[in-house]
Amino acid sequence: MTPFIFLFKLLIAVPVALVLALTAIWYIWESGNTVLYDSFAQKMFSGLENYGLLAIPLFMLTGEMMNEGGMTRRLINAARVFVGGFRGGLAYINLLANMFMAAIIGSATTQIAVMARAMTPEMEKEGYDKGFAAAITAAGGLLAPVIPPSMMFVIFGVLAQVPISSMFLAGILPGLLLVVSFAIVITTIGFVQGFPKGTWFTRGEALSALLSCLPAILIPVAIIGGILFGIATPTESAAIASLIAFLVGWLVYAELEPAKLFSLFRRTAVNASMIIFMIAAANVFGWVIIYEALPQKLAALITSITSNPFLFLLIVNCILLLVGMLIDGIAAVILITPILLPIAMNDYSISPYQFGVMMCLNLVLGLLTPPVGIGLYIASSMSETSPGRIL
Amino acid sequence: MLNGISAAWARAELTVAAFLAASITVLILLNVVTRSLGAALFWLDELAIYAMAWMTFLGASAAIHYGQNVAVTIMTDVLPPTSRIIIAKLVDLIVLCFALFMLWFCWRWFSPLELARQGFDFRAFQGATFNFIYDEPTTTLGIKKVWVWSIMWIFALGATVHSLANVFRRRTDGLQTAEEIE
Repeated sequence: MTPFIFLFKLLIAVPVALVLALTAIWYIWESGNTVLYDSFAQKMFSGLENYGLLAIPLFMLTGEMMNEGGMTRRLINAARVFVGGFRGGLAYINLLANMFMAAIIGSATTQIAVMARAMTPEMEKEGYDKGFAAAITAAGGLLAPVIPPSMMFVIFGVLAQVPISSMFLAGILPGLLLVVSFAIVITTIGFVQGFPKGTWFTRGEALSALLSCLPAILIPVAIIGGILFGIATPTESAAIASLIAFLVGWLVYAELEPAKLFSLFRRTAVNASMIIFMIAAANVFGWVIIYEALPQKLAALITSITSNPFLFLLIVNCILLLVGMLIDGIAAVILITPILLPIAMNDYSISPYQFGVMMCLNLVLGLLTPPVGIGLYIASSMSETSPGRIL
Repeated sequence: MLNGISAAWARAELTVAAFLAASITVLILLNVVTRSLGAALFWLDELAIYAMAWMTFLGASAAIHYGQNVAVTIMTDVLPPTSRIIIAKLVDLIVLCFALFMLWFCWRWFSPLELARQGFDFRAFQGATFNFIYDEPTTTLGIKKVWVWSIMWIFALGATVHSLANVFRRRTDGLQTAEEIE
């Protein structure tokens, strides 16, 4: 009965967090273990007593500050210096700027929203197809959850009980690989369609563009450097990054007014609490998973199909792609990690880091695939293109 | 009336949540600074975590008022408007159920009635119920943890008020937009 209730609630658009909590309530009721209700609220609270989770509001805050502080535009300009002159220059600029942004913003949807607004009009002006422009921006946004910092990695790290900083490091190489493969795709499409020609900056323009983005570059340096050299925890580097973003936006670029700070904090509180509350609910949902021995049952089923870890990963990939198409990425991570990770680690001895990166990457692909495709809709509404055309 | 209370309450929740978000940033930064000066304040981390927990539950409760939540809308998006309104009402009712459950859980957990029956004698209360909620300390802050946990009451009450208002509110097109928050 429990799975049906769960699916029904999910499908009539009950908030995911409440689906998790209510399923746990239902399950306890059904199993007659009502003494568990005594500690229900406590269990929910204790799901949040995790130092790593503090990184979520802080990374969100950094993203907000960066947007308000006018750093996005300067980063795009800096990208122009490196790849602006190639044929199809703006497409590569888009990609490179997305890579920079991914090193600051941790969420694909935020990044797509920001970049679609900034890049697509410009690409269209220079004669690119609007659909292609929006599509490439949306695809570039997928770098956000892979290149550190990444909200999804923070959540996976908390759920899987692995160090978040190691998760971040694990994401760097796959992220760069993604950038290279995107670049290859752009080049190939360019050969077929013939992109507009780009123009290089003059030396003076290039210098001023680089110089003005220098303070903004401090942020990814602080985040990745701090974690890489073990100087700061991800949480601390997120706090430092938000401070830099604020100071640069306020003092250097003079676009961020301290008066606006309160509304930034409010937006951060709204967005962060949405995600962190899901984790609190997932903590009580864990009861259902444990008492039902869901991973064990599923493991028995899957191991009877294959004992080959590659085949297992392939199956999981397909499942994840499907799930990602239906459920928002972060919610999906919260739902799936406790079920699939034990199987991957215990039955197939797959490293949790590899599994985490693979899972997050796979789930964000769902942002661009219909029917749900949140990223697609964001890109289309921000760039005023129909979703069909981006496809 | 109920709507007005719900709206005012949600605004208050978000204001406090915003202050907590700011305080998290300040606390972590303070932690970095004091540690690099070699005089780390050991209680900062725990305080920051509790600030985050409070922010989360306040924000989550306010999110019920604003109808802002992560949900799977793949099915409901394709439904005709009339059935969409009916389903939205059903969801409101389900949310109300959850809120009432939370109230009941808090009641069971804090057992105020039993505490009163024991004459607010915490020792007698623990002896009678084996519920050590009023005795649990925080790790580093030096206060009783029950103060920190009291957010669950606030959350449960807030969620009840908001969901009750939602159930009785006439809705034209399902959910409100995010702009209302600004």
